[in-house]
Amino acid sequence: MPLLEIKNVSKRFGGLKAVTDVNMSVEAGEIAFIVGPNGAGKTTLFNLITSVHKADAGQIVFDGHDITHSSPHAAAKLGIGRTFQIVKPLRNLTVLENTMLGAFLRTSSPAAAEQEAAKVLQFLGMGKVMHLAARGMGLPMMKRLEIARALATKPKLILLDEVVAGLPTVEALKLADLLKRLPEWGIAAIGGVEHVMQVVMKIADRVVVLDHGIKIAEGKPQDVVHHPAVIEAYLGSKYKELLK
Amino acid sequence: MKRPQVMIGTVIFAVALVIPLFLHNDYFLQVIFRLFLFATLGLAWNLVGGYAGQLSLGHAAYFGVGAYGLALLSKGMSPWLAIVGGVVLSMICALIIGSVSFRLRGPYFCLATIAFTEVLRLIAKNLPNVTGGDVGTPVPLLFPHNSMRSFYYACVVLTILSFAITYWVERSRFGYYLMAIREDEDTALSVGVNTARVKLWALLLSAALSALAGALYASLFLFIVPDQMFGVEVSVEIAILPMLGGAGTLLGPLVGSIVLETASEVFKNIFKEAHLLIYGILVVLVVLFLPEGIVGTLNRKLRWFKAAPRTPFASAPPPGPAEESKRIPLPLAE
Repeated sequence: MPLLEIKNVSKRFGGLKAVTDVNMSVEAGEIAFIVGPNGAGKTTLFNLITSVHKADAGQIVFDGHDITHSSPHAAAKLGIGRTFQIVKPLRNLTVLENTMLGAFLRTSSPAAAEQEAAKVLQFLGMGKVMHLAARGMGLPMMKRLEIARALATKPKLILLDEVVAGLPTVEALKLADLLKRLPEWGIAAIGGVEHVMQVVMKIADRVVVLDHGIKIAEGKPQDVVHHPAVIEAYLGSKYKELLK
Repeated sequence: MKRPQVMIGTVIFAVALVIPLFLHNDYFLQVIFRLFLFATLGLAWNLVGGYAGQLSLGHAAYFGVGAYGLALLSKGMSPWLAIVGGVVLSMICALIIGSVSFRLRGPYFCLATIAFTEVLRLIAKNLPNVTGGDVGTPVPLLFPHNSMRSFYYACVVLTILSFAITYWVERSRFGYYLMAIREDEDTALSVGVNTARVKLWALLLSAALSALAGALYASLFLFIVPDQMFGVEVSVEIAILPMLGGAGTLLGPLVGSIVLETASEVFKNIFKEAHLLIYGILVVLVVLFLPEGIVGTLNRKLRWFKAAPRTPFASAPPPGPAEESKRIPLPLAE
């Protein structure tokens, strides 16, 4: 049984069909990526999985639980961690305290939470900035902090919304190296990416391509980038003809 | 910066406890009583308004319900039981306000607190058979020898209790959750915080402490009227003291209360009718130039001062993430 199963899920905001009849599943320890142009519905899909928005139709099953009509905090308790595309650190707290907040999901003792948070931060190469206020961090550290907070909740699945967007290429590839190691600890990941394909090609086991809320392709990264529908979505029909 | 705040607080309380041994002037004791009473209310408000960042402009509701609870329930039971009754009633009020408005974000909670307090004030004014209406109602004595000193000690002990509770909250998971809600509610939800429930617990705790303060205040004056207990001025004063001292800090409400209550008492004696004008100017100046409050600003300045020698990248640059992660064993596997 897959860890996460999205069955025929649809969501519309007024007249805008954000996600239409999408099917997708993720196995335990797998890294899947959702790729799609701006406005394709990636973030909406993440918000549906974490119950920030409720699906209009379809069903989402995580680890044997139907979470279609759950709530964001309940989703986190079941083991779905997430990062935000627009980083949301707790600016007035330190990096360590930000991460402890995630660790508090599994322990109520501040000392244990601190220990757990410190381990996660070491792993992400943030040991030196641990005691600084989050508001002073640059974007690369902010993106890592998002991951740290989500990892500290000990998730089974982590949703990485545009986690490398806006990062310099070197930084993005370094981060990809870290993310590639997630399955070692049995953590599955779904990344959402608009165009940083280097990262996707490097670490994705499987890619799902969305366009205007509709799934247009799914498969191994190498295959998907040559899929005619994907080329059309990104480059237009003219190039589809040219590449044939 | 938490330890120094505890130390300063301890010194203030120690001084407060020995003052009555030297000071036999009831007027001064009453001024300091009022100071600690509002420090308690400020500490209670701080849990919701400071740590959780939910602006309440209706804390007079809990204060007033605590007072009226003592006054009305003591007709049928001992005053001490009536105080407990008042606390329970004020927590029920908090439950009503919180369970309705904490699901929403934005200004709804703040508006609900103002409206609810106003409703309580109007009820108290317009039910003469129950609450005495505009005329007011008598309150029983809590201490057999109605000495100012007993009230004073009771109030200081209540402040110490509120201070200790705040200290515990600040260091617990509950406190972290409150701060997370203040900083970003979406983030709090994403790490599994049931934000509506955590906010409600903070409000219940806050209401209980405010009700105790209300009962103490009412019993000292032996007679209460609706405008005095449920007035907007009371709500505003409860909110302004911790903001001035530093919302979301342990010592803030205490410092705010010492500064503002002393200032208002001194101005009252010097400037007579004009004292509110001076008081108002003082509040405006603080809001303009010390938006984080006295303790909050000091805290930040001191932290900068201390952080200067150990800037993170001053010595060796941190190892790259890839190298570092190789050396660290599996953090999450268990």
